[in-house]
Amino acid sequence: MKKLKKLKKLPKYILLAAIAAFFLFPVIYMLAMSVMTSEEVSRILDFSSDGFKSIDLIPQVFSLEQYYQVFFRRADYLLEFWNSIIITVPTVIGQTVVCALAAFAFGKLEFPGRDKLFFVYIILLILPTQVTLVPNYIVLNNMGLLNSFLAVILPGMFSAFGVCLLRQSVRYIPDAFIEAARMDGASYINIFLKIILPQIKGGLVTLFLLCFIDNYNLIEQPLAYFNDSEKYPLAVTMSEIGVNDAGIVFACGVMFMIPPLLIYYIGQDDVSSPFTLSDKG
Amino acid sequence: MKYKTRTRIAAALFILPSFLGILIFYIIPYIICFLNSMYSGGDFTGVANYAELLENNAFWLAMKNTAVFMGVGITLLLVISFLLALFLNSFRKISAFFRSALLIPVIVPSASLICVWQLFFEDNGVINGILNSLGMDSVKFFSGGFSVVMIIFIYIWKNCGFCVILFTAGLANIPEQYYESARLDGASKLKTVTRISMPLITPTAFFAFLMAVIYSFKIFREVFVLFGDYPDENVYFLQNFINNNFKSLNFAHLSSASIVFSVFLILLLLLFFIFERKRNFLE
Repeated sequence: MKKLKKLKKLPKYILLAAIAAFFLFPVIYMLAMSVMTSEEVSRILDFSSDGFKSIDLIPQVFSLEQYYQVFFRRADYLLEFWNSIIITVPTVIGQTVVCALAAFAFGKLEFPGRDKLFFVYIILLILPTQVTLVPNYIVLNNMGLLNSFLAVILPGMFSAFGVCLLRQSVRYIPDAFIEAARMDGASYINIFLKIILPQIKGGLVTLFLLCFIDNYNLIEQPLAYFNDSEKYPLAVTMSEIGVNDAGIVFACGVMFMIPPLLIYYIGQDDVSSPFTLSDKG
Repeated sequence: MKYKTRTRIAAALFILPSFLGILIFYIIPYIICFLNSMYSGGDFTGVANYAELLENNAFWLAMKNTAVFMGVGITLLLVISFLLALFLNSFRKISAFFRSALLIPVIVPSASLICVWQLFFEDNGVINGILNSLGMDSVKFFSGGFSVVMIIFIYIWKNCGFCVILFTAGLANIPEQYYESARLDGASKLKTVTRISMPLITPTAFFAFLMAVIYSFKIFREVFVLFGDYPDENVYFLQNFINNNFKSLNFAHLSSASIVFSVFLILLLLLFFIFERKRNFLE
């Protein structure tokens, strides 16, 4: 009887495995191709050849040549990788702090016009980058920030999305906690630091991760605001690398995805917890 | 000082940094954009730019493509994610490995995967190889109507996992008793989904919808890296239109297109709000 029950569940598990494979496959494929020799990769990426591409997950010759090239031979890719980090890290830290402060006020403090202001935030949230790209160019030009990293970092620090996400987490905190602290004479800044921040850890981690990925992937802004191509982050060059430097494209891609994966790995227990009511402790 | 006043001052101080930033980098640019849209070559022309824009074929093409992509892409994304979430919900626990598998597409940078997509979708790529071995004709993903299919596929692949996580979290928040009593009353499985799961999940659905809209603009990156500045006419989106006018420094076109695009989005959002009025997200 028990065996039969397990057997009945089998199709479900097969479906589950298929779903996982569907989402993971492109990444596994890339990892596999990153340990092939440059010649093999160039041959695979040569679309002018006859015959259809097949999926080769096992390299003909296992080789770390691509990685060797990227890390020791092509300083430009490492420099651009470094540019990406210089741009992304301050943006993300700034955004998390700014959004957490605002989310506390929107989520827990009463003030006139709160919901109207929040509605403005939601509207700003859905406007795509392209809409504000040029006007922002004018603003940044007036501030004398064009062609500096700050031109991308500063606007990136302020996002309506982060405020909305964290406000959602803040609202799950019972009002009684804050009332009790008020009674004990705690200041708002203390309440924020000692009660709110520890409680919204999940939200903070999620925002940090999403915001990191988002700013890490910026293409439009650096292209528009930097004259100097030396300042371009890796995302910009990566978009053309397949044409210019096919031999190392997969190792470069793997290198590029390590930082966000690392952040996810460290914070994975907290991602998505901002959306659940349960296990809030 | 009175308690109320102190709260208000505190609130203002907490919001100030965010508000200043939003003012400088969103609201002021937006006003500049609006003013720009009324000028042409330094002269005030009122709505002339808009009139010109509305006669521009490229603009209408971009508008149509964007609407089609958003309509089909977002609907498919939300429906597929919801179904997957229902499926996952039937398991007692989702393993950490599986959750990571779902989130990997969101985490991996777009730029990392371009060559993989090319291998899949090129004229002699993997997918066409499979189609041919099944005795079907090749499909051209980089030109013609199928290019939008490819972009929608990538969009769903990329964002589905995150929406599923949102939906499973939302489903987990629904008390088990509701299903229990529905079962006792003899409700069918389908009925419990449409009458319990779907209505109770609307706040989550709202958030997922917002995410889907935001991320639908980010697909421009994939379009850009796969097609360049002038993609096939089926995937020529408003972002391409704006971007190309940016390059040719046609500020009049650019600003008016931006304003029209935003109005289109704000209307979409308002519609959604009216639709959702009963369970107001803001409350």
